[in-house]
Amino acid sequence: MRNCLVIDLDRCSGCDSCVAACKHENDVDLGVYYNPVYAVGPTGTFPDIEMYWLPMQCQQCENPGCIEVCPTGASYRDEETGVVLVSAEDCIGCESCLTGCPFNARMLNPATNVVEKCTLCFHRKNDETWEPACVHNCCCGARLFGDLDDPNSSAAKAVAAAGEANCHQLSDPGNLGPATVYILSAKTAAWQDDPSVVTRSA
Amino acid sequence: MSKSTLTRRSFVKASALAGAAATIGASMAGCMQESAPEEELAGTGEGGHSSTEGLTKMKTMCHGCIQMCPAIAYLKDGVVVKLEGDPDAPMSRGSMCIKGLNQLHTMYSPRRILHPLRRAGERGENKWEVISWDEAVTEAATHIKDAIEKYGPYSFFCSVGGGGSYSFMEAMTLPMAFGSPTVFEPGCAQCYLPRWSLSKLFYGGNDQSVADSAVREIFRVGDANKTEMVVLWGAQPSVSQTAMSGRAMAELRAAGVKTVVVDPNFSPDAVKADVWLPVRPGTDTGIILSWYRYIFENKLYDEEFTKYWTNLPFLIDPDTKLPVKAADLFPDFQQTTPENTPAYVCFDLKTGAVAPFEYSTPADSAVDPEIFWTGDFNGKTYKTAGQIYKEEAEPWTFEHAGEMCWVKPEKIEEAVKLYAEAGVAGIVNGVASDMMESASQVPLGCMGLDSIMGYINKPGCTMTQYGKGNQPTTRPVTFNNGFAGMFSPMYGIGAVVGLSDAENEAWARGEETPVGKADVSQQKLANQLLIDRLGMKDHKGLYAWCHSHIPTVRNAIATGEPYKPRVWFDMSGNKLAMLGNAKSWYDVFPEIDYIIGQYPHLTSFHIEACDLVFPLREWLEEPMAKGTQLNTTWLMNECTHIGETVSHSIPAGRVVAKCAELMGGELPGLKPGFMGQATEEEVKAAQAANVGAESWDDLVNNTDKYIPFTIPEDEYFGYNQHETVVDDGLPAGFGTESRKIEVYCQILLKLARTGYPFCYPEPQEACEDYSPICTYIEPAESPLSDSEYPFVLTSGRVPYFHHGTMRHAAFSRELFPTAEIRINPASAAELGIEHMDWVKVTSRRGEVHARAYLTEGVNPRTVWMERFWNPECFDESQPNPTAGWRECNVNVLTKNDAPFNEVYGSYTNRGFTVKIEKSEKPANVWVSPEEFEPFLPSAEMMAEPITEDVRF
Repeated sequence: MRNCLVIDLDRCSGCDSCVAACKHENDVDLGVYYNPVYAVGPTGTFPDIEMYWLPMQCQQCENPGCIEVCPTGASYRDEETGVVLVSAEDCIGCESCLTGCPFNARMLNPATNVVEKCTLCFHRKNDETWEPACVHNCCCGARLFGDLDDPNSSAAKAVAAAGEANCHQLSDPGNLGPATVYILSAKTAAWQDDPSVVTRSA
Repeated sequence: MSKSTLTRRSFVKASALAGAAATIGASMAGCMQESAPEEELAGTGEGGHSSTEGLTKMKTMCHGCIQMCPAIAYLKDGVVVKLEGDPDAPMSRGSMCIKGLNQLHTMYSPRRILHPLRRAGERGENKWEVISWDEAVTEAATHIKDAIEKYGPYSFFCSVGGGGSYSFMEAMTLPMAFGSPTVFEPGCAQCYLPRWSLSKLFYGGNDQSVADSAVREIFRVGDANKTEMVVLWGAQPSVSQTAMSGRAMAELRAAGVKTVVVDPNFSPDAVKADVWLPVRPGTDTGIILSWYRYIFENKLYDEEFTKYWTNLPFLIDPDTKLPVKAADLFPDFQQTTPENTPAYVCFDLKTGAVAPFEYSTPADSAVDPEIFWTGDFNGKTYKTAGQIYKEEAEPWTFEHAGEMCWVKPEKIEEAVKLYAEAGVAGIVNGVASDMMESASQVPLGCMGLDSIMGYINKPGCTMTQYGKGNQPTTRPVTFNNGFAGMFSPMYGIGAVVGLSDAENEAWARGEETPVGKADVSQQKLANQLLIDRLGMKDHKGLYAWCHSHIPTVRNAIATGEPYKPRVWFDMSGNKLAMLGNAKSWYDVFPEIDYIIGQYPHLTSFHIEACDLVFPLREWLEEPMAKGTQLNTTWLMNECTHIGETVSHSIPAGRVVAKCAELMGGELPGLKPGFMGQATEEEVKAAQAANVGAESWDDLVNNTDKYIPFTIPEDEYFGYNQHETVVDDGLPAGFGTESRKIEVYCQILLKLARTGYPFCYPEPQEACEDYSPICTYIEPAESPLSDSEYPFVLTSGRVPYFHHGTMRHAAFSRELFPTAEIRINPASAAELGIEHMDWVKVTSRRGEVHARAYLTEGVNPRTVWMERFWNPECFDESQPNPTAGWRECNVNVLTKNDAPFNEVYGSYTNRGFTVKIEKSEKPANVWVSPEEFEPFLPSAEMMAEPITEDVRF
């Protein structure tokens, strides 16, 4: 079972609605983000340029580095759904898991001293349709959720329809096996394995 | 409601509460707390339960911008705890954007005003006292009455605009009730009026705006969608209306629809476009004219459509600039069409002679009109309208346009080929041109292009008519003055375009005509208000929405000439963040005797200017049933309600009623004058009627029965309406004088000379002629000649804000904390500016600050800003509070002096020059996420009792 997000970057317009949807749904504190959206580019020189947006969140790895390094077992994989989660009760805020995650998908919430991250809205798993808030509200129809091992899931269908050449995953030198798939065709922009992202940090 | 609720400081955390003299008056009788809901379960998803179990689910609609997306609100104990998009919505499809989602912050913001406020200190001190509704209404009405009695009705004026309250009808009609001609809106001439109004004058049809939901055809769902190609000209739906037309554009692109985007900024829609044309701000008409030249030269236009459905083959009299009528050149000519369908003159290719050109179907035409012709007739040299256009376009080669507009010539060619070689295509004309001197020229050019291409009334075009009853049965006409020309039948003002001259004279006398009878009993006063309205002599296009010319209003306040507006009722938003050259307005506030505001929150304007502020509802509280997506209408529910806030039309409705009482039962203006409601019951009844419900209770108790209110697709969408044969045996045509699309917009000449068709029957004084076709205008402040201010600045939206809204929504501000100026890295390097450095931006009007966002997405000589204002500047934590409009507000820089757009008086919000230098952060501005904590919903606000409607 590979429950994860599939994100169509040919559609994503970087509007940050997914960020707000997540923060309201999960009551996330100011300055803490489970799913930031990064601008990749524009690359090139005006006016011959291209860009895309890269929404980032827990990649639901096959071999999660975060679980491996967690000293308390607070980071774990839910057996039923396969979702990688953090137990707030067991987390001691040591931030070891941050070193185990090359995707910077985890953040320590200084207010609670607990590491937080995307749970794929695990609390919605018993809803009529389990759908993370970011997926439901995505203004571009770019975010899909489901089990990649189930060919009938919307996530798996999107990957199949996009074709292998247009499906990408984050660079994975540590062989963690991120599950999340990004769809990006050359018509929009070239996928960058080592993207230089533009943020509002000075 | 308990006294403790009234006296606590929840109405605005930042203000100094001077004498919290709240009393439980008669007006409070309706504000009773509802019994507490029993359900205590919050959805946790634990133990096999749904995450929304125990929450009350309500279908509603977002009003975070002018498009409205169906939404679902979840409530716990009457408090809205969660929002999401409604998946049943045909365009937004379950999307809800950040502006909509963050309503949870604005609704329960510690900045909410929950009770009427009276200024307690000096203007600018931000000191207020809570007063009762009775006191507030009486005070406002007394000031208006006193001013009118002392100085006359023209001392009253009104304004609206800025987001958060959408009282357009109320603002337009409130001055009418008092017999004043003065109303303005920072949008209007600078937002949508030019495009909307010109489409009516041009062909009596829908305009090309997506943001204003005028374009619908291209967003049809499923197989009915035949769109092949869309040009976004100065529009960025993915940013401005992210969930609705932004989503719809994403669907179009995913379906393979080609797009061209004309935008100085590399917007998300530009990022995804097949061709991006990063035009120099203000020079769009250069590219438009190069498209005409290419299409004419290569005969890519739809020849039959252009010959028979546009007025381009008409001979133009070189003296009057108007099309010649057949009867003028051929004294023996006997017209066979009705008097309301005049015959013009063309050069007939069949006979090789100048000939009468009667209106008919193309097949029935006696002539084969030449589109491009110059020649003599009876000793006078005539050109066809098409020839005039061709000559205007002639200098605009791709190379010339490329040089003038800063775009690669080959890209212009690639773009026009995509457009002209498509089976069907359509231009979406965005707000950008409204904010330039060429505000009328760009829509004339864009609509003209779609017309000569025959991209009209076809599946997949932007200029395709829709709506119940869009299949005509009689000769189409266009009413004028107000939305849908509503004031023409009400007050007997304004000619009806499409009636004959004799029929219009009968209309103005209140006699029976083919379109009914006008009530002319108040015509004299109504016509006089048109004549006396500020700025109308020069910019008569403003008549379309009955609005005044903003810079002329400001000058009248400053000088008292020709009369002095003294008492101001503003209906929305932060005028200091919205009005061009904001400081020029701040400077005249002392000239204004009394200023009334209304809004859900305090803004810079209320602090700096207002003497009284009425508290309004947020959209989660306001009953409304008129938001549409395609052929469906949705309900904006009254999900909850806190405090003594009211629906947006009520303060004016109460003040009108009170003034009438104080003035002995009669107001000095037009009747009915004010068109708004004075009680929530009236508001709800009117909204329920919109969707065919018997009452508001009927509607909200049977939501699934009424919502969405759907007009069947086959009744709503239709095509080729102009070809439908109507009761006079002729094809319907269009609602213009010629019954054709007036690509050469002949009525603009009459408008300039007399005010026709708006200022009628008594005319307005003449001004210089308006151009009937698209022409090029070099921006007044030009980077080609300005060495002191080397950059050309333009602006646009970011997804986080609509107008002045959401600046106090913490989840918006932490992501986009403060103003940014997008600047090319090469230019920044020359100035020693690095990414996210603070810079000072200076124009000839003033200076503001912003952070530099370095990007290759703008030309090295162009810079781009979103407007901004900073409500944190008057947070109680600030040692030296300011009103938050001077620090980062692009409207301190914008240009509100001449030259204006000739037709609409639009001033220049985009395409003026600035200089940039490295600087420091302004003292009161917040940047880091944690700083915005005081903006988060407070426990106190969440605990506000749920209240019933305020009763009067």
